[in-house]
Amino acid sequence: MRAAALWLIALVIFGVIASGCIGGEEAKTSQADVQLTGDITKDLVEIGKVLEQNGVNEVKFSAWGSGDPNSVMRVYGIVEAARRINKIWADNGINVKIVITETHYVASFQDAYKEYLSKQPLGQAGDFFVNSYAFLPTLADEGYILDITDYAKAYQSVIDDFYPSMIEASKYDGKLYGLPQDTEARPLYIRKDVAQKIGFDLNGLDEKVKKGEFTWSDVYYWAKKAKDEGAAEWGLIHRKGSAHPDLIQFIFAFGGKLYDPNTGKLVVDVPAVYKWLYVEWKFARGGLLPEDIMSWDWAKQIHPAIVEGRALFDIGGTWYWTEWQTKQYYAKGGTPRGLKPEEVRDWFYYTLFPAGEKGDKPVTLSQPFVWMINSKAGQLNPKYDELKDVYHKLAFLMLIKASDPDINAIHSVISAHLPVRKEAAKLIKDEKWLNDLKALNLDLSDDVKNNIRDIVQATVNPINAQFLANVSYMLEYTHLAPAHPKYPALADIFKEAVDKVLRGEMTPEEAVNYIIQKVNADPELKENVEIQGEIPKDWKFPQG
Amino acid sequence: MTKGKLRDLSFFLSPMVLMVFLFYLVPLVMTIYISMTRMRNWNVDRYLTEFVGLYNYERLFYMFQHDPTFKAVILTTVVFVGITLMINVFGGLALALATFFINERPASSYRLLWLLPRMSPIAVYSLVWYYFFHGSEIGTLNSILMSLGLISEPIPWGQVTPWGAWSVIIFVNGLVGVSFGMIVFTSALNQIPKELVIAARVDGASSWQISRRILIPMIKWHLLYVLTWQFLSLLTTYPHLFLLVQWDLVNRDYGTTLALYVFNTAFGRGEQDQGLAAAAAVILSIIGILGGFVTLKVLKFERMMKKPRGDF
Repeated sequence: MRAAALWLIALVIFGVIASGCIGGEEAKTSQADVQLTGDITKDLVEIGKVLEQNGVNEVKFSAWGSGDPNSVMRVYGIVEAARRINKIWADNGINVKIVITETHYVASFQDAYKEYLSKQPLGQAGDFFVNSYAFLPTLADEGYILDITDYAKAYQSVIDDFYPSMIEASKYDGKLYGLPQDTEARPLYIRKDVAQKIGFDLNGLDEKVKKGEFTWSDVYYWAKKAKDEGAAEWGLIHRKGSAHPDLIQFIFAFGGKLYDPNTGKLVVDVPAVYKWLYVEWKFARGGLLPEDIMSWDWAKQIHPAIVEGRALFDIGGTWYWTEWQTKQYYAKGGTPRGLKPEEVRDWFYYTLFPAGEKGDKPVTLSQPFVWMINSKAGQLNPKYDELKDVYHKLAFLMLIKASDPDINAIHSVISAHLPVRKEAAKLIKDEKWLNDLKALNLDLSDDVKNNIRDIVQATVNPINAQFLANVSYMLEYTHLAPAHPKYPALADIFKEAVDKVLRGEMTPEEAVNYIIQKVNADPELKENVEIQGEIPKDWKFPQG
Repeated sequence: MTKGKLRDLSFFLSPMVLMVFLFYLVPLVMTIYISMTRMRNWNVDRYLTEFVGLYNYERLFYMFQHDPTFKAVILTTVVFVGITLMINVFGGLALALATFFINERPASSYRLLWLLPRMSPIAVYSLVWYYFFHGSEIGTLNSILMSLGLISEPIPWGQVTPWGAWSVIIFVNGLVGVSFGMIVFTSALNQIPKELVIAARVDGASSWQISRRILIPMIKWHLLYVLTWQFLSLLTTYPHLFLLVQWDLVNRDYGTTLALYVFNTAFGRGEQDQGLAAAAAVILSIIGILGGFVTLKVLKFERMMKKPRGDF
C-alpha cells in the first residue's frame, strides 16, 4: 500500500515536471528596446515592428473617464487615438492593431477615482484614466500611475504647446505623471434681464471687475436691490455639496492662500476664510442666498433657479453654458426644455469672480483634468513582462495622439471646457473647421462620430465658440487648488463650515474656530495644515 | 466522549466550523491586523507590512476627545441603534399580534405591505424618502403641509440637528427592519395551539389580555432572538444611511453612525484610510460582542439552551 502511494506521488511529480518540459521550449523575445525620438510616426513604426516580431498582432487597452454628458471625448479621444495609430501601422505595412476593449465613463469624477483606487491594485483598473489633477499626487505617490517624465523629453515640442500652468498641474514632486486633457474657468454669471429691471448697468463691468473696482460688496449691493425690488427671488445662487472648487475661490478673492510651497503644507488662512464665511453668512441672513443651498437639488432647484431668471448672480463654470442647452432645466412654459444658444447669449452676462474687497484681485479657479496612464498599462497583453516598456511607451504615444489639437478642440467646443493646447485654441476660432465639425465632416472614426453626433448638433455653433473665445482670458487669473493628498479632507471641513454659517447655526467667527478645531482634532491633518493669521477685528461687510 | 462519537461530530460540524473559520475568524484577525498597519488607498503591497502598533487606535481616541463630528457619530450610533431597535422589535411584535387577530387574507396582504420596503432596491427606496423628506418645497412632506396651511416655510427635516436628522434615519431604517420581527413573530404565533386562545376567549379574555398573558410569554425566545439579531444588524448597517447622507438629505454629523464612519473612512473619501477604518471596525466589533453578550445574559439565554428533560 505504501509502495503504491510512493509510486503515485512519483508519477504526479514526473507529470508536473514533464508538463513544464513538453513543448516548453522558451518563447524567445526579440529585441524589445525602443528609444523614443520625438517623430511619432517613426516611433510608432518602431514599436509596431517590435510587437510584430514578438508575435503580438493585437494590443488591448481600456479607457476610464468621468464627467458631464458632454465630456465623453475624455474617453473617445483615446478611441480616436487608437484608430489613428492603427492607420499609421497599416500604412507602413505593420500587422498590429490596437483594440479599445472598454470605454468606462461615469458621471461622478469622485466615484470614478474611488473605483480606480480600489481596482488598480487588483489589476482591474483602466489602462488610461482621465480625472482631476487633484487626485494625481495620491495616485503618483502610491505608484498607481506611470511617471512619463523621460518619455515626454523626446516630445518637448508637443509639451511646449500646452499652457505651462496645465503642465505644472500634471506634475508631482517635479515629475510628469500625465498630459492635460481640459480645463475651465468659473465665471460669475449675471442675468441681464434682472439687472435691467434694477438699473444695474453691465456695460464695461468686466473691465471694472478686472481692475478690482467691482468687489463682493457691490455684488451684495445689487443682489439686495434685486431682492428688495422684487426683480428676483434670490440675489445669488452657488454650488451645493463640496466647497471645492467653486467656493474656495473666495479665499483667493480675499487675497488668501491655501498652500505654502515653502513648507509643503496646506494653509488655513484665517483672515481670508473668515471674510469668505462672513460674506456667505451676510447673504444668507439677508435672504439673498438660500440658507439650505448646500443641500439643494442640482437638476430640480439650482439650475432651474438660474435659467428661469429667479436669481441675479450665479457662481458657475464655463461648462454651464452648454449644459443649459443640452439639459432640460427650463420649465417656465410648462414642458421642460434646454435653452437655445441665442437665449443663453442674450440672458447671461459673465465676468471673473470679483475681488473680495478693494485692493484685492479678481480670480477664477481651474480644475484641469489629466490623462494618466496606469502603471500596469497593457498588463493583459501577451508577453507583458518582456514587453512592458514597449507597451508603456505605446500608451504614452496614444496620449500624445489623443492630445492632437483637433481632438482637444472638439472636446472644448462640445463641452464648453477650455482647450489646454495653444494649437487647439486657434482651431476653435476657425469658422471653416467649426462648420466641418457641425457636419461631422472630420477625420474621425465612425464610433466616435456616432457617440458625439447628438452633442455636436446641440452645441456646435458660432455663439458657443465665441463664448469659449471670450472666456479664455480668464485663465490669466486662474488659481489651482493645491494638489495635496490631504486637501480633500480640508475642503470637506470648509464645506461643513459654509453649511453651518448659511443655516445660521454658527457665526462666521464660530465657524472659523470650528474649522481650526476640526483640523486639530485629526493628528494627521494637523501635521499637514498650518493655521495662519487671526480673525480681523472690526472688519465690515459690505464696504463702501 | 467516545472516539466514534467525536468522529461523527467532527464530520457533521466540519462544514460549519470551516465556514466560521473562513468567513468570521479570518476576516476578524485580518481586520485586527490591518488596524495596526498604515494601510491606505488599497496599497496592500506597500503598507501591509508597515506595522504601527496602536497608532490608529490612538488617533481614534484623540478624535473622540477633540472632534465634534466624531462625538456626534458616537452619539448618533447610540440613539439610532437604541430607538430603531425598539421600533423593529416592538413594531414587529405589534404588527404580528395585530394580524394574528384578524382574518388570514387581509392579514397576509397587510404583512406583504410591510415587506415592500425590504423588497425595494435600496437606491430606489432611499430616493423615495429623499424626495419625501427633502427640505425644500420640492419635498413631498413639505408641499403637503404647506398646501394644508400647516406651515408657511418648508422645513429642512434632515438638517434640524440632532433630532430632525435622527428622526429621518430612524424612520427610514425602522420601516425596513420592522418586517423581520413581524415575520419571525407571526411564524411563532402560528405555532401556538389555537385551543389556548379559544379557551381564553371563552373565559372572556380580551385581545390585549390574551397577548400579554398567553402569546407574548410563549414567544419569549423569539423575542430574544429578534432583539439580539436586530441589535447586531443595526450596529453594522449603513447602506440607507450612506445614501441619505451622500445626497445631503440629512446632516452629515448626525446622520452618520459608526458603521457608516467605518465605510466612509475605508472606501468613501478622497483619501481612503483602511488602517483607521479597521481600528474603528474592531471597536465596533467589540461593542457588538459585548452588547450581544449582555443581551443574552440579561434575558437568560442559557435557560433556552439547557438540555431538554426528555429521554437521552
